[in-house]
Amino acid sequence: MTVSVETRRSRVTVYAKSTAPSLTPVKPGKTHEFTALDHSMSRHSVHLVCYYRQAPTVTMTALKESLCDVLSYYPAMTGRLVKNEGDGCGEWMVKCNDAGVRMVDARADTTLDEFLATATDEEERQLAYWEDVGSDPYLWSPYCIQFTDFKDGSMAVGISCTHFHADPTCVAVFSRAWSETHRRALVTCPPFFHPWAFYPRKNPVPSSPHLSEKSTIPPPLHPPAMSSVTFAFSASSVRQCLADLQLSNLSPFDALASLLWLRISSYKSASLGTAQLTLAVDCRRRMSAPLPLGFYGNALHFFGVKADLSSGWSHIASELNCHVSGIKEDDVWSSVEWLHERSKEKAFQMYGPELTCLAWDNVPVYNAEFSPGAIPVHVGCRIGNAQGEGLVVIMAGAPGEGEEARTVIVTLPTDLTAQIYRDEAILKYGPKIMFSPNI
Amino acid sequence: MPAQPLPDFSTSVRLKYVKLGYQYLVNHFLTLLLIPMIATCVLELVRRGPEELISVYNSLDLDVIHILCSSFVIIFVLTVYYMSRPRPVYLVDYACFKPAPSCRVPFATFMEHTSMICEDPKSVQFQTRILERSGLGEETCLPPANHYIPPNPTMEAARAEAQLVIFSAIDDLIKKTGLQPKHIDILVVNCSLFSPTPSLSAMIVNKYKLRSNIKSFNLSGMGCSAGLLSIDLARDLLQVLPGSNALVISTEIITPNFYKGNRRDMLLPNCLFRMGAAAILLSNRRRDATRAKYRLLHVVRTHKGADDRAYRCVYQEEDSDGHCGISLSKDLMAIAGDALKSNITTIGPLVLPMSEQLLFFFTLVGRKLINPTLRPYIPDFKQAFEHFCIHAGGRAVIDELQKSLQLSAEHVEASRMTLHRFGNTSSSSLWYELNYIESKGRMKRGDRVWQIGFGSGFKCNSAVWKCLRTVKTPVDGPWAECIHRYPVDIPEIVKL
Repeated sequence: MTVSVETRRSRVTVYAKSTAPSLTPVKPGKTHEFTALDHSMSRHSVHLVCYYRQAPTVTMTALKESLCDVLSYYPAMTGRLVKNEGDGCGEWMVKCNDAGVRMVDARADTTLDEFLATATDEEERQLAYWEDVGSDPYLWSPYCIQFTDFKDGSMAVGISCTHFHADPTCVAVFSRAWSETHRRALVTCPPFFHPWAFYPRKNPVPSSPHLSEKSTIPPPLHPPAMSSVTFAFSASSVRQCLADLQLSNLSPFDALASLLWLRISSYKSASLGTAQLTLAVDCRRRMSAPLPLGFYGNALHFFGVKADLSSGWSHIASELNCHVSGIKEDDVWSSVEWLHERSKEKAFQMYGPELTCLAWDNVPVYNAEFSPGAIPVHVGCRIGNAQGEGLVVIMAGAPGEGEEARTVIVTLPTDLTAQIYRDEAILKYGPKIMFSPNI
Repeated sequence: MPAQPLPDFSTSVRLKYVKLGYQYLVNHFLTLLLIPMIATCVLELVRRGPEELISVYNSLDLDVIHILCSSFVIIFVLTVYYMSRPRPVYLVDYACFKPAPSCRVPFATFMEHTSMICEDPKSVQFQTRILERSGLGEETCLPPANHYIPPNPTMEAARAEAQLVIFSAIDDLIKKTGLQPKHIDILVVNCSLFSPTPSLSAMIVNKYKLRSNIKSFNLSGMGCSAGLLSIDLARDLLQVLPGSNALVISTEIITPNFYKGNRRDMLLPNCLFRMGAAAILLSNRRRDATRAKYRLLHVVRTHKGADDRAYRCVYQEEDSDGHCGISLSKDLMAIAGDALKSNITTIGPLVLPMSEQLLFFFTLVGRKLINPTLRPYIPDFKQAFEHFCIHAGGRAVIDELQKSLQLSAEHVEASRMTLHRFGNTSSSSLWYELNYIESKGRMKRGDRVWQIGFGSGFKCNSAVWKCLRTVKTPVDGPWAECIHRYPVDIPEIVKL
């Protein structure tokens, strides 16, 4: 007897595509230049999806209007990629030609609650429409915003963009500015365009052993098919984790990142030994001259953490804690300068192919209130082109679940994902499993 | 020894004063004649003294019957005269639709969409070239349905656009004039390319709950000059109906008319036509005379449709792939120039001062009888009008008219700036231009405005208005937020 596994038809349908202009025209001749960090991230894309309950002011038409309004503050978003012929460096930059951002209208054949309970990984991916750059970058919109209407009037807003332009923090800050514009409130974190933020220091010390090693890894010939699963840990689950670790001074990130590292590695190979994890941390606030949260661009610092996985969960967690809190500004600058030196060469994959973890839980993401008092019901974040051993994104959880609540999105090769979301060690803490693959 | 070149008389200062003197003499001929006569009469009367005047009156031997009959005759003649005069038509006020900035179409967006929708790269290049030289700005607006890739021209979307533009304009007009919808006696709507059933006028009657005995008309298919045709129709109706008012709506609905094919002569409307509408309130009531802005002096219509070339010059048809579009022929400018000449010939005698008419007459006689090579005299219309509203059909139209009427840059500024800010809004563009002049504070009491519209057919229509009260700035209207930025310098070619 054969058992046929039927992949369920997706309930999300995209039915229209258009472009949103900014309300005020951009002054001709305006440009936006990229930093070395931006260039290094050009192979990836960011996808942020926020889910909102039905509210009278949260309709597709009203959101499109306020989107046009907030775009007046972001001329770099409505511009297009061109090569910088002026300085003779031939690098990519943004010509702020006022072309606007792509908008996609979609509908989901279900209610919001049912979607959050039963949607697959594939369906969630379809809430953030994305097209890779085609043959002509000048006609390609680096941003794409999808509005999905649910049957009960709820809405999902999916913001996709190329990592070249913005990192996840930047996208989250943009959605917050958009929501404030929608409510006609003051924009608390206006965009800060400052491409010289990561210009090399006067006496540069370009060195990044971790990134140099990464740049030499050849791209995999047959990248494995990847799929994701989301674990929503409530505050009590996280507290339970921390209690089980029996160490003080550990943050929820340390506990969850180490747990997942351990469990993923245990499925990859039977014996555990010294392993390396690449961490990506937002360093806007870690510089001695801190960048404002509204800094437009990439400010992620990638570095490697080595730990002996056989020495137990607590040890791994404390290693992570040590490394993350001990990031030295000099290291950040050195790696920026190293990237600056090789910025003319082709960018290599930053998230992966080795196991990578994005520490994003220090950035508030549930503050994009389109309707006063109505924060998103759920926020998900994905990174595109993170093929390889996998990517773990640890972000803040819904405020309703408590301050220590975290949402963990794990992207792994398909066969590993199937195992990880049934893992007893993780399920022990009772996380809510969302958007599992369609298996 | 080479002869010294003759001084250029036409630019000599002395000749300018001679010309001014001639104009003053001819235009005020009657005044100059009557004043000395009246002065002489008065002097004579004063000289003769009251007693002599009484004795002259007594010698006339008038009795009651004579006086009664004479007064009766005088009163009868005066009554017949006043009754047979055409009723004055006043423009109480008008309102133009102001599009939301989220509907705007920057050049870059337009070219991107065109590249994505159009399969033929040559058409894309052609449209880029047109847009570069079009004289449009970055703030012109297309209806929401045309922002989709590809555009979604359903009938529902077209009706939605019609409702948006027309109802906004009417709401603005109601706010400005305090007009009560149930007091509207005549309704004329003109929209050339979208004609659903029930008509757009029925749509307005339904929305505003107008009276059941309203005289409503819906003009469709009459092109970009239909705005002035509607005014003419309303004027004719107001001659027949005493104490009435008329609401005239001029618009063009863009949604259903996006051309999907590749024929070059049909791609121009895609690039130039934009969203717009105007609502105008006309009245023949005496009590509106005090609050009206303008009075309609003349409407002159010229239809060149009898000529085949003019008839086919703007022609809606299907191309070889079955896509419907409006083709504009290459002789459009020549035909427009021809139609304008006919129109001017008719309107000239109605509006030009006597000095210009005499000069034209003498030059015409001279050309016919004495010397056929004499240059034809082009009357100076700047003496008849203070303001010109030329249909913003495209840069070429404005350039052509500026040249043929010898207008200065300031005279055509309203047209050029309207084309830049709002694009070619078809029949309503004349009202945006008028609003520009008012917003700039240039409209003073007594000023005369000449509105010239061109449209398919081929038609050239003119309307002449006289301003009844100085329009004070700031003026509430589509230019309210951007007038301080205008006039702008529009480059010959905008590099895309």
